[in-house]
Amino acid sequence: MLNNYILIAWRQLFKNKLYTTINMLGLVTGLTVYLFGTLLVDYEENHDAFYKNFERIFTVGTVFSPTANIGVSQDPSIYSGFTPFIKAEVEEIESIARTIHRKFLLTVGDDNYYQDIRFADPALLTIFDLDYIEGNSDALKEPEGVLLSENTARKLFGSTSVIGELITLDHKTTLHVTAVFKNLPRNTHFNSALIGGLEFEVVAPLTALNKAADWDLAGNFNNLSSGNYTYILLPAAKTLSWLQTQMDNIWKKHLNEDHKEFVTGLKVLPLAKANTFIWSMIGLPIMESIKLLAIMVLVIAIVNYTNLATAQSLSRAREVGLRKTMGADKKQLLAQFLIEGLVIAFISMFIAMAILEIIIPLFNNLTEKSLQINYLHTLPWLLATTTIVGLVAGAYPAYMVTRVKPIEALRDAGASGVKGSLFRSVMLGLQFSISIFILATVLIVYFQNKKVQDAGDIYPRSQIITLQRLDVEEIQNKLDSLKNELKKIPGVSHVSYSSDLPYRQGNSSFTAGPVLGNKDLSFLLKQLSVDEDFLSTYEIPLIAGRALSRDYSADIFLKDMLAINVVLNQLAIEKLGYASANEALGKTFYDFPNSREPRAYTIKGVTPTQNFVGFHNANKPMVFYLRPSFFDYASVRVSHQDLSETLVLIEETWDRVITDYPIQTSFLDKVFNDMFRIFDTMMKSLGLFAAVALILSLIGLFGLAAFMAQSRTKEIGIRKVMGANMLQIISLLIIQFSKPVMWALLIALPLAYFASEQYLNFFSDRITMQAVIIAMAGLISILFAWLIVGIHAIRIATANPIKALRYE
Amino acid sequence: MLKMHNLSKLYRTNDIETIALNCINIEIDTGEFVAIMGPSGCGKSTLLNIIGMLDTASEGQYFFNDEDISNHSESQLSQIRKRNIGFIFQSFNLIDELNVSENIELALLYHDMAKKERKDRVAQIMDKVGIAHRAKHMPSQLSGGQQQRVAVARAVVGNQKLILADEPTGNLDSAHGQEVMEMLQGLNSEGTTIVMVTHSPTHSDYARRTINLFDGHVVTENLRATG
Ligand SMILES: Nc1ncnc2c1ncn2[C@@H]1O[C@H](COP(=O)(O)OP(=O)(O)OP(=O)(O)O)[C@@H](O)[C@H]1O
Ligand SMILES: [Mg+2]
Repeated sequence: MLNNYILIAWRQLFKNKLYTTINMLGLVTGLTVYLFGTLLVDYEENHDAFYKNFERIFTVGTVFSPTANIGVSQDPSIYSGFTPFIKAEVEEIESIARTIHRKFLLTVGDDNYYQDIRFADPALLTIFDLDYIEGNSDALKEPEGVLLSENTARKLFGSTSVIGELITLDHKTTLHVTAVFKNLPRNTHFNSALIGGLEFEVVAPLTALNKAADWDLAGNFNNLSSGNYTYILLPAAKTLSWLQTQMDNIWKKHLNEDHKEFVTGLKVLPLAKANTFIWSMIGLPIMESIKLLAIMVLVIAIVNYTNLATAQSLSRAREVGLRKTMGADKKQLLAQFLIEGLVIAFISMFIAMAILEIIIPLFNNLTEKSLQINYLHTLPWLLATTTIVGLVAGAYPAYMVTRVKPIEALRDAGASGVKGSLFRSVMLGLQFSISIFILATVLIVYFQNKKVQDAGDIYPRSQIITLQRLDVEEIQNKLDSLKNELKKIPGVSHVSYSSDLPYRQGNSSFTAGPVLGNKDLSFLLKQLSVDEDFLSTYEIPLIAGRALSRDYSADIFLKDMLAINVVLNQLAIEKLGYASANEALGKTFYDFPNSREPRAYTIKGVTPTQNFVGFHNANKPMVFYLRPSFFDYASVRVSHQDLSETLVLIEETWDRVITDYPIQTSFLDKVFNDMFRIFDTMMKSLGLFAAVALILSLIGLFGLAAFMAQSRTKEIGIRKVMGANMLQIISLLIIQFSKPVMWALLIALPLAYFASEQYLNFFSDRITMQAVIIAMAGLISILFAWLIVGIHAIRIATANPIKALRYE
Repeated sequence: MLKMHNLSKLYRTNDIETIALNCINIEIDTGEFVAIMGPSGCGKSTLLNIIGMLDTASEGQYFFNDEDISNHSESQLSQIRKRNIGFIFQSFNLIDELNVSENIELALLYHDMAKKERKDRVAQIMDKVGIAHRAKHMPSQLSGGQQQRVAVARAVVGNQKLILADEPTGNLDSAHGQEVMEMLQGLNSEGTTIVMVTHSPTHSDYARRTINLFDGHVVTENLRATG
């Protein structure tokens, strides 16, 4: 019997090819997107599970006050100063290890490489079990030891048996290799594709950092950087909430009161969250969004199937009527339709899996991830999904058809055309609600991102080549001659040094106030150490006063000076309480240091308020001062035409002036794009979902319109005989299909408004045309719907009416 | 009223060519009641459809009110058709989703006419064909004879001067058939031209002239003595 059903279902597939194609296309696309989304989220949320202690490892992060105005609400790391206290006071903890990233120039023999090194407490190797090729987990106990990954060992030495080989950091500190470990798999947060630049290739003890860069082993309370995780290993009996309580106490006890206004707590997280934490950090629920979108697309696909199957089943009413008169009972018919749904669902699932097998390796290559379908593991889930999709999709059409009375079905197939049309309209409405919703949110994201990107154009970023990592004494000593030489290169118009670059998410600031010793009116002031050419290089205008210059001795900020001249931005002037830039000139403000005399800053110039760190942050009050030998970056402004040619000349010049350290360059455009990458990726993936959702809905509408048009040919024939012209027929059909789309608009637009509100809240400088853009999404959907229905309408409106009436 | 000169109709489907009409020459005057008869497949419906401008001839000329319409466009034909011609079909062809009065009103919907006037005309015509008490019924709730009366009402509600009926009694029993024939006769006596396809000799007797078709040819034309 079952065989017979499957056979009938199989034949049915080939009977109506348009119907089958549309249905399969929809289900395959829906399933592919759904499976892919689910696999991706599953992958991102299940990093690190292969470590032996996975379930007992925790990280501690920092929670910021909303008034901190630093663009993020949390950070996955804590001040390194906490760890000695935790170690001393929370005895139950098995191990705790800090990690600090720092870039160094590595010298091996005659070769130099810039390399990000992860410095850590020795306990790191107790917490994480690495696969050692050489050496063992004691490798970090050697104060001048260093661990290399298999890759790095081969890169530096061409071999993995390199115990005892020497590596020099910044020509100064020499370490010897104590262990080589197997490359970490991609699915660990150490290799996270979400947070860039945190590679786990070279690992050295913090004592080495102390030697190489004077890093205080007691840690500090003024430096946070997202990659610098602190890991804690708990005994099996202790829970996350227990650790949270301990951390709350540590925070209370060891953070000074002023600081608590800014850092409002510590937050314990399981290691499992380390990979996706970046999303919580910037406050965007990306993983949840992907899950939701994947399900939405699948729902659209199922609705497509249900709608088309119902519409089509009506044209089979005659067949069903015949079967019934010949003795088929309800159950058998029900089974037949459900099995048809299942057969289509299983075939679609099969095709979707095949597509995934092609897509996933490409995706892995592109994104450096290692997604894979673990069939053994996912089979029950796949089977369940397919069965549910098949049953849900087949249920309504099955019910519809079996309800038809045999006489009705035989007497007049046309009459049953109205039945179920309410259901189909509701389904169509649902489908369009989802598509319009997704489309609207995507457009909002797109326009907001475009705004951020355009706003980034205040600085001539496409013309600037940056030179990085100048914070080494040897280089600082040669900055003047380097600048002179660089300026000689044709095509170079400006050269400037600074402690930070536009768009970098640096956050160096100090507390400042207009009254000496009175903190009441104080505020956080972002500081930037620049040279005299910075404003002109970046085209930052002055609205009052003058730029800083080496001609005035008070303009040059040397160590221990207690009165200096500075340039502020407009926002800082306002924070200080001055009504205008001119009024502020010559006025003085102060800082509030802990361990030295306060310094007086005299305002010599004022710039407009510009968003130096990029537009997802709020504008900040800013101070520029001339502080020689505090420069990390050079900005070389180049005329457009010969950028790469100029780059070669810049490199030659560098090599001539600075012999010990290789050049590190990057286009400012790239700095900007790195900052922007998260939004960009998000937009692209959202865009993909939106396109799929909309196309699926349109395919569904196309199929449905085809069937409806067909079932109305008689009526339209009559209307034509009565003298209706083409336009009247077309508008009749379009109006019929517009109703569910209009309902969809009513539902989707407010929801889209609400959702986009959540996203836009994230930006300080929001797009203003939110409502217009959302309305535009609605309009686009309607136009597409009209276009598709219109095509069918034109087709039947131009057909000869007599054909429709003849074959009644 | 209409005149056909050497009119032919050819159907071409894949490799089979069917000559449905072959060199037809007929003339029908205003006020006539003409029956078209002939065996199944001889081209009666085809001829009627061409007369009604639902279909166009492959060759020959067709004059409607002395106007050669052989080369008129679809929309020109549609204009002439909706002012002058009413149709009655064997299978009634009422719209299932509309009730009786709405089905009749459909024929006026595509004329420029005020709503009030439309309603009046529909009410009038429903009285005339005796279907007024069923105005709100759906077609599926009516008997075949009643449905055909609605179709007749719809055919004449726009004051059409020519009524084309393709086996209007084909689906009806003899009593209902009779009823419909009398209604057509009544319309004819008021001046409406009627062209009707029928298989029934009894019903062709209502007509004053019978055109016999065979294999796409006009074989005979019988004129009945009036009275
Ligand atoms: N659309 C078409 N395509 C091909 N051949 C057609 C088409 N319409 C009609 N014919 C053929 O033209 C010929 C005449 O058909 P027509 O419908 O006019 O016959 P009829 O006299 O009305 O027959 P009946 O009394 O059975 O209704 C037939 O042989 C028919 O098969
Ligand atoms: Mg016929």
